[in-house]
This record gives sequence, C-alpha cells and structure tokens, in this order.
Amino acid sequence: MRNKAKLVVLVGLCLSLILGSTAIAETPYRTYTVDGYGYVLETQSAYNPASAITKVGDTSFVTPMDMAIGKDGNLYIADAGAHMIMVSTIDGDAVRMIGEGTLQSPTGVFVSDDNKVYVADKDAKKVFVYDLEGKLLNEYGKPESPIYGNNMDFKPIKVVANSTGTMYVICEGNMNGIVQISPVDGGSFLGYFGTNYTSLSPFQILQRLILTDAQRAQMLSNIPSTPTNLHIDEDGLIYTVTQGDKDMALKKLNIAGKNLLDSDPYWADLPAAVTTGQYRNMLVADSDGYIYEYNEEGELLFMFGGRDDGRQRIGLCNKVEAIAVDYFDRIYLLDSDKKQVHIFIPTEFTNLLHEALYLFSKGRYTESKEPLEKVLQMNSMFDYANQAMGHAYLQEENYVEALKYFRLAKSAQGYSDAFWEVRNIWIRNYLVMAVAVIIAFAVALNLYKKRQRVKYGEDGAPTYFSQRIPLLGNLKYSLYFMRHPFDGCYGVKREGRASLSCANTLLAAYIFISIIEKYFSGFLVKNVREGRYDILSDIGTVLVIFIGLTLCNYLVVTINEGEAFLKQLYCAYAYCLTPFIIIKPFVVILSNVLTYNEVFLISFANIIVLVWMVVLLLISVKEMNNFTVKETAKALALTAFTVLILSLLICIIYVLFSQVIDFISSVLREVVYRIGS
Amino acid sequence: MEAKLNLKKMEKSLIKFIIAVVVIIVIIAVAILASKSGGKNSLNVSDLQPTISAPQAALSDGAVDISKQLDGHHLVAANENYELYLYEPALSIIVKNIKTGAVMESTVRNEERLGNVNETWKGFLQSGIVVELQEETNTMQKKLGLEGSGAQVNVELIPGGFHAKIAYPTQELGFEAEVKLYDDGSITAWIPEGSIYENADNKKIGNIYVFPLLGSSRLDEKDGYMFVPDGNGALIYLDDKDGRFDSGYVQKVYGSDIGVGESYVLSLLWGSYETHNDAEMILAPVYGMVHTGDKMGYLAIIESGDEEASIYATPNGAYSDYNWITAAFRKCTTYIQPTSNSGGSVTKVTDRIKYDINIRYMFVDDANANYAGLAKRYRDYLIEKDELVKAEDIFKIRLDFLGMDVENWMLWKKDAPVTTIDNIREIYSDLEKEGVTDILSIYKGWQKGGIFDLPVTSYDVASSVGGARDLSKLMAECEAKNIDFYLFTDGVRANTETSNTTFDTVKKMDKRLYTQNTYQNVYRKFVYWTPQKTLENLKTLQKNFTKKGVNKLALSKIGNTMFTYSMGDTMQTRLVSKYLYEQALKETSASIDLMLEAPVQCYWQYAKAIVDMPISDSDYIYTDQSVPFLSIALKGILPMYGDYVNFEANEREYFLKLVETGIYPSFYLTYENPSELIYTNSSDVYTSQYSVYREQIMSYYDELKQINERTKDSMIANHEITDTGVTIVTYDNGVKLYINYSAKELKADNVTVPALSYVVGG
Repeated sequence: MRNKAKLVVLVGLCLSLILGSTAIAETPYRTYTVDGYGYVLETQSAYNPASAITKVGDTSFVTPMDMAIGKDGNLYIADAGAHMIMVSTIDGDAVRMIGEGTLQSPTGVFVSDDNKVYVADKDAKKVFVYDLEGKLLNEYGKPESPIYGNNMDFKPIKVVANSTGTMYVICEGNMNGIVQISPVDGGSFLGYFGTNYTSLSPFQILQRLILTDAQRAQMLSNIPSTPTNLHIDEDGLIYTVTQGDKDMALKKLNIAGKNLLDSDPYWADLPAAVTTGQYRNMLVADSDGYIYEYNEEGELLFMFGGRDDGRQRIGLCNKVEAIAVDYFDRIYLLDSDKKQVHIFIPTEFTNLLHEALYLFSKGRYTESKEPLEKVLQMNSMFDYANQAMGHAYLQEENYVEALKYFRLAKSAQGYSDAFWEVRNIWIRNYLVMAVAVIIAFAVALNLYKKRQRVKYGEDGAPTYFSQRIPLLGNLKYSLYFMRHPFDGCYGVKREGRASLSCANTLLAAYIFISIIEKYFSGFLVKNVREGRYDILSDIGTVLVIFIGLTLCNYLVVTINEGEAFLKQLYCAYAYCLTPFIIIKPFVVILSNVLTYNEVFLISFANIIVLVWMVVLLLISVKEMNNFTVKETAKALALTAFTVLILSLLICIIYVLFSQVIDFISSVLREVVYRIGS
Repeated sequence: MEAKLNLKKMEKSLIKFIIAVVVIIVIIAVAILASKSGGKNSLNVSDLQPTISAPQAALSDGAVDISKQLDGHHLVAANENYELYLYEPALSIIVKNIKTGAVMESTVRNEERLGNVNETWKGFLQSGIVVELQEETNTMQKKLGLEGSGAQVNVELIPGGFHAKIAYPTQELGFEAEVKLYDDGSITAWIPEGSIYENADNKKIGNIYVFPLLGSSRLDEKDGYMFVPDGNGALIYLDDKDGRFDSGYVQKVYGSDIGVGESYVLSLLWGSYETHNDAEMILAPVYGMVHTGDKMGYLAIIESGDEEASIYATPNGAYSDYNWITAAFRKCTTYIQPTSNSGGSVTKVTDRIKYDINIRYMFVDDANANYAGLAKRYRDYLIEKDELVKAEDIFKIRLDFLGMDVENWMLWKKDAPVTTIDNIREIYSDLEKEGVTDILSIYKGWQKGGIFDLPVTSYDVASSVGGARDLSKLMAECEAKNIDFYLFTDGVRANTETSNTTFDTVKKMDKRLYTQNTYQNVYRKFVYWTPQKTLENLKTLQKNFTKKGVNKLALSKIGNTMFTYSMGDTMQTRLVSKYLYEQALKETSASIDLMLEAPVQCYWQYAKAIVDMPISDSDYIYTDQSVPFLSIALKGILPMYGDYVNFEANEREYFLKLVETGIYPSFYLTYENPSELIYTNSSDVYTSQYSVYREQIMSYYDELKQINERTKDSMIANHEITDTGVTIVTYDNGVKLYINYSAKELKADNVTVPALSYVVGG
C-alpha cells in the first residue's frame, strides 16, 4: 500500500509537470493552514491552478449544477439548463452526452463504482440510472410508502448510491432528511437518513417562554435545513454539508446515520459541496470559491482559493456548485456563474503530506516520519506535521523529542502523554536523590529552628522588621486575617491593623501573581498562547474590577447604615485576596510538573482558593459594617444592581461620546470636502 | 497692603494669560508655516516637462504619391520597407510592408465584417482615435469614435506623415495628433498636451485610445498572437475563442493606483485574512501584435504617458469578433469623496492629468516577426536610448538573510534575531569550503528595531544581530571575498508605530490617509511617505551611509510604486511620484550601488541588478502562453535575480524556468528556525533555515554556474518552443539550451532531452 501511495505521489508529480508550464506562475490565491491554537498561518501553495474547461467539445455550459468523476477518469457534468449530462475528458473534449430528451433539469449526478450514472432530476421528479454509454437502466419516482408522506413532493436535487445500489437522495423542500431508496421492487423507500436537527439559542428559548401562542405562530418556524450536498466514500460513509447549519455544517455519517465528527471542522458560511480523496481526506468547497482540505478526523490541513476579483485568473471562482477529486489528487471545481470547471494540481508539498497522511492513518507512524520531515523542512510551522512527528516519536519511545514536537504542535493530550513518560524516567533516575535532598533540607531547617529557639527562647526570633516597619506588620496581619476573618475584621476596623500601603501592596501582589499564573503556568493548564503578552490590559482589568466593586459596595453600604469607611473596606477586601497570594504560587509551580492525569489537583486548589476568598469577602462585608446576615445579603444584592447600573451608565456615555466623535469627524470631512472643491 | 497683594496677583495672572496667548499664537503660526512649507514641496505638473525622445532613425520625409490608394486609404509617407496609408475621416491608417505586401490595418472598414455589435463598439472599431467622455461625475464613461459621433477631423499632410486636428463640437473639446513614419520602420503617434482643450465644464476627456485596432484580426483569420507585458511576458493566440471570454486583459502600466481607489472586491477569509495574491505587474510599457503567417508584427512602446496608460488586450468573443490590443491613456478619473462615517459620499472628478501621449510602433518582419524578435527590438531600443547600459554579467547566487524582526513582549517589543552577523560569516565560510563563492546577498532586518522599523535613515545596526562595527567588518570581508553584500530597506513605507507619521505621508485623492493593512500581529498597518519625503529620507541615508563607508543598498517598493495623491489642495499625479523617485534613485546611485526590487523600465538604468524578477505571468484565463520577453531583452545586460526558491511548491520546474530565462536563483535564509518569527510581522516566512537549504544551494550553484559559464556575457538571440514541446533558447554566441518540462524524454535538433531536464548544446 505504501508503494501505491508513493506511486500515486510520483505520478501526481509527473502529471503536474505535464499539465502545464503555466503552473509555475504565482497562484492567484494564498494557501493557509491552522496551527494548534487555531491560528491561521500561510503556507506553500497546496494546489496550483492548472487549467479551466469552458466548453465540452463545442458545447458551452448553460447551468452546470453538479459534477462527478467516473472510474474512467471522465467528468460527468449535470447541466440543468442544457437538460443533459455532459461527459468530458479532462482536456474538455466531449465523450458523449447522456439523457438528452429524457432529462428535464438534472441538478445532481453520481457515478458509482459499478459504472452506473445516477442522475437527480428536480423537474422530472425522478432519479434516473444510466450505464456509461448513456442507456437508461432504471428510473425511480416518488416513493409510494406512506412513511414518506403523501403530501410530500419528490424533487431530487442530489444523489449518491452505495455499493449495493441503495440511493441517498437530497430532495428540495424535504426537511426530514436524506431520502434512502433501495433499488429492489422498482424503488422502495427505506426511510430518512442523517436528519439535521435544529437548536435553540437561549434568546429563542426565552422568546418561547414569554410569547403567546399567537405571537409564536407569527415567528419564523425553526425547521431544520435540508443538506446542501452529499458525498459517499469507498467505505459507504456519507458526508453531508448543510448551508445555514452553523453548528454542524459538515457531517460524516456512518451507515446508521451517526455523525463521526465530534465538532464541526467547517467554519465558514456557505458550504457548497464535499468530497473525499484517497487518503480519507475530506475536501469541502465553499460557494465563494474557497476549498478546505481536512484529514479524516476533521483537522484542517489547507484552505485556499477565493472569489474572482474580476481579473479572470484561473483558480478563482464565483459560485461553486461541485467539487471532485480524481485518482491523481487533482481537484475539479465547478463554477455555475463563470460556467467553467477549474482544475487544480497538487504540488510536491501536498504530495508529501498526502503520503504521510496515508501512513499516519494506517498507524505506521515511524514510516510516516520521512515524508513528514520533508514537509517540516519545507514548512516547519505546519502543526499537523509537528503533531504527527510527536506521535511517531512517542511510538519510538523517544519521549523528549515527542515532547518537543507536541509542544510545537500545541497538542495538549500528546504533550501530557509524553511528559508523563519523561517525568516517569526522571523520577526513576532521581527519586532517591530528590528524597534525600528533601530530608536533608528538612533536617537542616529543624536544626536551625532549634538553634534559634535556644538563642531567643520559645518566642522565636525577635520581630525586628515587623515592629519597625508597620507595613510588614500589616502584611503579616493579612495571614492572621486569612485564618481568623472575624477577629481580623475587628482588627482592621477598631485596631487600625491595616494601612492603605499594605492594601496596595496586597493588590499589587495579587496582580503580579495572576500575571505569573497566566503566563508561566504549565503548558497543559495555560490558556494563553505561548509568547503572547498583554500585561497592560491584565493589570487594568484587575484594577477596574476591584476598585469598581469596592466603590459600588461602599456606596451601597453607606446608605444601608453600614459602619465601615471606604478605606477600611478597601483594606479588608484587599486582605481577602491573601489566600490567592499565598496558595497560587504553589499551584503555578505544581502545574509545571503535572500531566492530564493529575491535573484535577490544580482545579481542586483553584476551587479552594476561590471558596476561601468568597467566604472572606462575605464575612468582611458583614463584619466591617456590623450587618446581620439578612442585611449582608441585601447589601450584596444591591451592590450587584449598582454594578449593573454603573456599567449601563458607562455604556450610554460611551455610545453618546462616540456619536459626538462621529459628528465632529463628519463635520471635518464636510469641511475638507467643501474646501477641497 | 491687601489691595497691593491683590494687584500683584492680578498682574501675575495677566502675565500668565499673555504668555498663554503668545504660546498659542506661536503654535498656530508654526502649524501654518509647516503646512505652507508642505505646500511648497508639492510639485506643479508644469514642473515636469514631458520628454519626447528624439527619433532614433531618420524621418521618412521623402515625397510620395498621395493619390496611391489602398482600401480607401491614400499614401501619406513611405520608406524602403514600409508605406503608411491614411483614411482621413476616421484617421484610419494602414501600414504596408512593401517586400511582402503584408498589411496591418487600424480600423474595420467593412461594415459587414463588424458582426453584431452595438453603435458604441462600432464607433470604437472604426476609428483611429477613440475618446472616452467623462460627463459630470458619471462613473461610466462614454466611448466616442470619430465618424458618426459628430467629430470634425482636419488633416494636414506633413513631411513623413500627417497632423490631425480633432474637434468634438458638441462636447466642446478637442486635440491634435501627429503621426510620422521613420526609416527604421517605426511609426510614432503623438498627442501633445498643449493641443488639448476642454471648454465645457461638465464634459472632459476621460481616456484616449490611440489606434486601438492596429494590427487587429477577426476570429482566427490570421495566425499569430498578441503580446502582453504581464510579468515576464505572455501571449494571447489569435485563434477562435468560441466566445469563451466576455472580457480581456486590462492592466495599468506600472501597477494599480492606490491614490484613486480602484474598485475590486477584496476577498478576506473570515474577515481578516487576505486570500488573494496580486497579479504580476507591467514592468515595461510595451505591447505587441504579431501575424506570424504574414511575417509581420509590431512592438508598441509607450514613450510618454506610460504612467497613466492601461493596456487592453481583448480576444475575439469579448465585445466583438476582433482580437485587438491597445493602450488607453487616462486624462481624468472619478473618485469617491466620503462625507460621513456612515457611508455618505459624493463622486468627484479629478482635474485633467497633464502629459503628452506618445507611442512608437516598431514594425518587425521576416525572422523577427515573433516575440523573441520583439524583445530584441526592445533591447536595441533601450540601449540606443541609454535607458540600459550593459553591466557586468557574472553568475551569482543570491542569498538573502533576515536579521531580525520584533515581537510584542510585555509592554514593549522584543527582538527576535534569526540571523546575526556572525551567523552570516559562518554560512559564508561553510559555503566557501564547498566552492560556492560567487554570492550576492541582501541583508534584511539589520537595522535597530527590525526589518519593519521604517524609515531607515541612518546606519543604526541592531545590537541583537551584532552591531554596527561588526557589520562594517563583515562588509569589508565581503568586499575582499568579492561577495556583493547589500543592506536592505523599504523606500516607500512608513511605520506609524516607530516613527512620526503625522506629516509627509500619502493622502489619497479623497484626502484620506492611505493605509496598508498587514493582517499581522505586531505592526498592523503601514502608510506611505510622500515621494518628497522619500527623496529626503534617501538623501539622509545616503549621507550617513557614505560617512560609514557603506556603498551598497537594496531598495524595495520604490521601483514599482506609483500613485496619485493629494498635497494640500493640489493633485500630485503618478508622473510626480515617478519623477521624484527617479530623482531619488539618480542621486543615490551616484555614490551607492543600487539593487532594485522588480523595478519598472524607467529605473533600470539606476540599478546594478534587478531582484524579484517575475519568472512567469499571472496565469489569466485568456492568456495562452507565458514567454520570457523581459528575460530575452535583459539577459546579458542587466543581471536578474528571481523570487525566493524557498516558497516554491514545485522546485524542479522552477529550476528549469531559471535555466530557460537566465534568471539567477535566490534564497531567503535565516540561521535559526523560522518558527522564531511566528509572533513577528515576518510570520509569513515559514521556511528559511540555512541548514535545510544548504544542499540545495550548492546543487543550484553548481548546475547554474556551469550553464552560465557557457552563456556568459552573451545575449539571447532566439527563443522558441518546438512542436515536440522542447523549449530552445539560443544565445548569440551560438550556445543553445534545450529544456524539457515534460515527464517524458523529448527530441529536438537531434538532441535528446531527458524528462524534466535540460541539455546545453551548440
């Protein structure tokens, strides 16, 4: 099989060279891929535009709607306007026309492995089956089964068939799903397949709760979209694309109709057609002319193409209706607006990737390293290849290398697996030494403490600093506050155990540690892109939230007969941050040595910190103001409300302000215009 | 006492107030002065005297028999080889080759052959000169032919040709045209700016087409092709296109005009990724038509007005049954002036752009009636006009290095050095060991702040790549080793974050700042310096470079950027930017060796070499073949270096293209892995590590050097593709290169060329 893949790659390469010396020109589009973060990166051209078919023999296209490639290598183009299927070589020479006189509006065509041509005819309301010579073998009209629905019209627009001849038909206006028809008994209806579901947005749910039945009846009904196009692969898996289905536009359905893709890999709006290549790679064509290539799991490999900017360059399309891939990995794109078929040939780069893809999908990781290395040599930032390399090294038990590649690929699971191994080896090698070091350290600490005790008695070392510098004393008090919030509040309120400088220091420490946590946590728990820093907004966010909340809270408690001053509240709330400041550094360190297996420890620690802080805060509000529980709850509710009002106010001011700016700039533009003319 | 104190206080506040007022007045005055001085810098169009080159050959001004007729035209001028006929009412000319009897017509006189065209296109096909009328602020311009549009044509015969006064009384506008024949078989058509008048307020000349149908042919009646200067060159065959195309090739000479928003759909993927690559530019103001069957053809060179010209090449089926190629000259254009943020706008018309139109049609025949012949004719023309001086042509491999770029870090920017000066040294010595010695390098991103810290006006080397002293040392070492080491900068763009761009930046015609989005993370947009400021920047840079002994500079953008912009109230045309850039390059090249990135024809004379030379065309759907027109014209005279090999997805084919075109290879190298660049604006450099390309550099060097040893210092004499598919390039020293792009072995001239390979013969 590997030889086959290689052969294909080689033949593809040769063909790419035969097909045109024009292919060397810079492509009219850029090719992008996506890295492990989902960040879009440019890469070498994946496919180069080679040529365009504008006519089949002497016949121009009228309304070409669908296209399929037969095993004979010919293109079968369904032209609804010309009422026939045009069979063309890839050079645009006519082979034959099928269905002239019979077909009324063929919008879908499919050529099966057993060389039958299935045609979906919308206006004839039938699916026709021809042989390759154009002889009509069968025709299937509306299923008579009552399950199909007596009132439901049968307007087939796209069709595919599996190896047993069972047809999957998309019908216009039929929202129940893909119509499945068996060829036995002149076409028996097997049921609906791959039905799309609707989803309700929270807003819609709210609407439904509030509105009356009559109002609801006036709303647009929320019915599922009919799939736009479909494809069947060698294994009988059905691929569908649905325009208007934001959540699951691309689906890969098994024979039971279950979607094998976990999430929707397709991000754009207007999928027009889907097909698969020989490496189980999926290709989706966008109505706007973009082509997306995915591996079998739905990870994006390439996207390229685009709308024609009016300059008539090969490779740019206006309205794509169909996509097909032939045995040499060439892509064919049917454009019903320009009435052309554009042909793209894979480049060397893509051929290498396809070979790796094939080997990788077969689990032959080590073998796949060779083409992957070449791919990475051509583009070291191609994360799909990095990830595959990581897997290959993991298989070879070269964990350090695997770790490196997984991190490059930002593959968290892979990184975790590799890190587990690396850590395991480290523990095996250094565990004894590490334990010895820890014991030695503990002993030394103990000894030191003993000596101090001998020197200064039971009270320990004199607290020089905290006595001389009040700030240090206050900071030390925060530790007490953390453990004894009731007493702590009393201290803050009555004994002056807090100062602004201390609160500021704590706030600064909080900001510092949250930044450390954000940027220096372990790879697995980090939420930011490596190397991305935005410190200013980090600091700003914390400050705005903290000060805003304190202020709102102060306003509320003063009118509710709370006793605390603003300064006291500020200090108390700053003290509430202490658990974060004390515990988080350990969490950050820990996060650097944990794998996914132990990552719950981090979440656990985070929950502790959060709960602790919230409890401290509640107690502070209550104690500082000498509130009852009820009053505290009221104060908190009112604070939330104040925050809401405040943010609303800010919004309004912002909107008004931008209006003023817009007005001034409009005036200036007007002035420029008047003076200029 | 208290009163006194109060008085003192009042005095103090009074003084304060006076000081404040004075300060404000001074600020206003300075601002006014600054804007005035900006105005002073702006150039008036009248400053730019159009230069019409002296004819190369003698005027064919001998007396002729004007009663001699051909197809309703009468003879107006003749020489040994060619006769020029004229049909006065339509200003239609026929050029006849006396030896072969072949003719080229400039209009379609036979009504029946016009086919099914509307009145507008009929007028277009039947007129020697066509005007597009700009009425009010209509964005669609109306075509006016000569016959049937009420135009008055008064022809006066002059020695060697004719002089025509063309008036459109209804539109109250007109101009004069002069057409002359020269002994070398060239014809010039001249429309002087001084003769143009537009008396109506709301009717202006939008575009002028000169002999749009010269050499045209109907469907596939003639064998041959149209030559378009797209990239390196492309041909559109004169075969029957079966109505496949509804439009043809239209491109502005020297690229699009950013100052007058030319509307095309910018396609952004997900709103933020640019998905289109720009088409290749027209670097040379030429086009051609060849009737290979009749062995007659011409190369048209736009001698004046090239800045504002567009080339139209239209195959049959689009608009009419005729294949025609021409240049249209823009005399005014419309632009949108926004008046509010919410989309309010008005359309405005620019003033007339003042320049002479002059086209030279150089006719070729016999063995020269093909694209190689046209290219040779072009080469001779340039040499004769001193636009091109033969430079030393030694094969060198171009190895460009990216020093460093910056990424965002905390609150600041952090250097991301990828190739230090030491690294370059190491790479050179490594290559030297392997025998790679003829090297030309451009060092990008050497300056403090990285490659995009623009403008560069001093020799301020980033310490993260090694600092100024070390760079000077490296340059001295390179000098000793005979390596050409150029420092790179962008001559046109300004970075709004690293320099003060409040003044001296380009404002479009609608007086809005022109910004170029990078769609990158660090610097999101760039603006353009006004050409005035570019000139100033380059002068400063030249001074500082000379002080430090640096004498090699590679400039990007400046060689191929031309735009209309506004300065104060005046419109600065593309002629102004070309004039100022030319001044800048002329002055800089006096003491510094210049390397220009894909420059347009008028700057070739200032460059020691051209980099990023297009190797092919843009692959339009209506072009049939890519030809190395510019390569044929320039090979052996001006060294040419191609685009970077790194980013080519099909390497072997690209290599063969290098062999065919005589363009030298280029690599973009970094010492470190380019993944270091991922957070910088250079994140599009995804593959560049030296260790990856080491072997390829050596093999390219060895193979191409061998070929170039054979073709050294000689020029391309012929270029053809045989019926078997072999491309044969013949040099004037007799060496022949056979190139086979196909996957199977091919034969030509009894030479067997292996698949995907080449043979040096002759």
